[in-house]
Amino acid sequence: MSISASIVNQILSYLLSSLGLYLIFGKCGVKKIWAWVPFVREYHLGVCADREAEGRIYAKLAVVSLVADIIYYCLEYAKISAGALFYAIAFAILIAEFLYSARLFLGLIKMFGKSRKWLPLLVIMAGPVLLYWGLSPKYVPKKKATESEMAATAKVLGTDIASIKDGLTVNITDRTVIDFFKKKILLKDIHMCIPKGHMVLLLGGSGAGKTTYLNAVTGYEKANANVTLGEEDVYFDYVKMMYDIGFVPQQDLMRGNDTVALTLSDAATLRLPSSVSAAERKKRVKEVLEQFGLLAVKDNLVEKLSGGQRKRLSIAMEFISDPTLFILDEPDSGLDGVVARALFEKLRAIADENKIVIVITHTPDRVIDLFDDVIVLAKDSGRTGRLAWYGPVDKAYEFFGKSSMEEILLSINQKDEGGEGRADEFVEKYADYIREEVG
Amino acid sequence: MKKKIRHRGRLSQTIIYLGKLFRMFLFQNDWKVLPMSAIIAGLVCFAVGSNLYKTMEGTLTGAFALACVCVWNGFFNSIQSICRERAIVKREHRAGLHISSYVLAHMIYQAVLCFLQAIIIIVVCTGMRIQLPTASLVTPFPLVDFGLTLFFITYSADLLALLVSSIAKTTTTAMTIMPFLLIVQLLFSGGFFDLPQQAMPLTNLTVTKWGLTALCAQGDYNSLPMVSLWNNAVKMKNVEVDGEKPLLEALVYIEENDMRDELLLQSAQQNQNPNYAFDIEVINRCWSWLIIWGAVYAIITILLLEKIDKDKR
Repeated sequence: MSISASIVNQILSYLLSSLGLYLIFGKCGVKKIWAWVPFVREYHLGVCADREAEGRIYAKLAVVSLVADIIYYCLEYAKISAGALFYAIAFAILIAEFLYSARLFLGLIKMFGKSRKWLPLLVIMAGPVLLYWGLSPKYVPKKKATESEMAATAKVLGTDIASIKDGLTVNITDRTVIDFFKKKILLKDIHMCIPKGHMVLLLGGSGAGKTTYLNAVTGYEKANANVTLGEEDVYFDYVKMMYDIGFVPQQDLMRGNDTVALTLSDAATLRLPSSVSAAERKKRVKEVLEQFGLLAVKDNLVEKLSGGQRKRLSIAMEFISDPTLFILDEPDSGLDGVVARALFEKLRAIADENKIVIVITHTPDRVIDLFDDVIVLAKDSGRTGRLAWYGPVDKAYEFFGKSSMEEILLSINQKDEGGEGRADEFVEKYADYIREEVG
Repeated sequence: MKKKIRHRGRLSQTIIYLGKLFRMFLFQNDWKVLPMSAIIAGLVCFAVGSNLYKTMEGTLTGAFALACVCVWNGFFNSIQSICRERAIVKREHRAGLHISSYVLAHMIYQAVLCFLQAIIIIVVCTGMRIQLPTASLVTPFPLVDFGLTLFFITYSADLLALLVSSIAKTTTTAMTIMPFLLIVQLLFSGGFFDLPQQAMPLTNLTVTKWGLTALCAQGDYNSLPMVSLWNNAVKMKNVEVDGEKPLLEALVYIEENDMRDELLLQSAQQNQNPNYAFDIEVINRCWSWLIIWGAVYAIITILLLEKIDKDKR
């Protein structure tokens, strides 16, 4: 077949599959127009098949494949022998593209509740099969891809609250990301003031935006927000403020082949101001080792420590610079009840030193007496992280009409996650409550 | 006006990380790259070392094999060094780590490793009585010139692997990319395999091309005899033409008149490669390219790692 005949053939095949996708997208709830846009249609096929991540890769492969094809044809036309190399590249990409299309079609088959026997037909002649599926009223997807996105989101408070000098003030208007042709709102309308000396629990179901919230507060991933710690603007003075914020990640991210003392000493050198002398630094390391009960194991390798000791060392690494804001992501994961309790008591002691301690934990009820306040983040019907409560623990029970943090979590979780699906109700109730409080 | 609080600068941080890396060398398995390089060098010397710097063909094969050993060593030194602790680097970057200090510490540490590996290769070659270059071009000592070439090849490959290690999110990904890179390096060395003319510009991108060229030039490749013709003639000595064996007669005549060496040299003269000339310019150009590529890889590594905060959980 000549090159021109091959191109005509490809164009016809493309138009036929686009027509099929046009009808399928209509059934899935995806904008039909995307079926005609190259690369975007590949991604939306993934959305329709409930395999968005694979759809992205498929779209990227389609782009790379086209580029390789163009280069190949240009080099062939110019009779440059290096074109053969691009033939191999284009062919390699084509193999990957083929496999990804098979994965997406499998997803589509599952979504439409049909037999896997359709797969070979879909792979070999996608255009006519998609057209048939699109036209036949028997072929209906189990769920619409954009159902959640189209739903109205809960109403917002919409105004910033005045910052406090002696604590952390967070006014997040929103935190958005452009994610593969779509704007996603990860967080919206979160306003609070946390005074110094408070230990705060950060509660929220999976995907409610807890980590996004913490990243926005610490300035690691800036939001459309105004965050102040004392009189300092965290975003504006980020280089300075990052030393005043300690963030302890969920995993114990330390080098196993270093000793405890060296790990802490290096952390001190990195985090303390250069004006601190070596003797003062050494003293500080010793103090922190004592405070976190690590003095006896100071010469042990990190990899030889127990889970509890490792967690304490991870916290000590951040605490060494004496930060004002101290954030911990599930510090009790993998620890038994007694060890976890002891760890939280240590955190309580840190908060009592006029610090702000924010903690994410999935087992809050065993240590809830140690917390002053609770932040409840919830995924609203638009799948955006929203503030459902910030305030004292006892008032939270009253607000949600529940007697434990786990019950509160259950009430705000979506129904498809086994929860009560009342997130929107509490988000709006809280907005009304705070409006009354602030005026 | 508030006094600005200063934290540790890049130099102090580099020293901290150098300490960490050398501790890792001792207490983790990083030291194993040194004995491993001795074993690989030994294997190569055993397999292709006998004619190195003795004949044109032996030199080309041996120099290519040596360049491959260096690239292999360089790749293995650093291919996992960043990706295996990526999450730790992200945490430390958020706590004030300068990426340039971190990469510089790696560069210094890797330079030491590569330097030791170059010495190990020379020791193994010498111990196995492999012929090495006898004349120098840059320094007064031929072995120093030769060692520097080995070092630059290893280091440039090492920094390329460091770049891969900064791109790959996991050690598995890095180890998957490595063989692919190795094949590209071997295929596009430009000297060992006959490539189409249009592919030749691509060879400038490889470490092996500049390494192979420098190693051949240092051994004065163009002054060495070429034995292929002679060996093929010996294989065909019994071919009969009209009942006679003209090749055998010619070979006997050459041997009896002690003309073999002259013939081998004349054969070599027809196959000299100006790229492998025993010339300081050639060596300088090769070393410069190896250094430039190393620097480019290091800069890209820094630029890529600066974005480490954007890593997803």
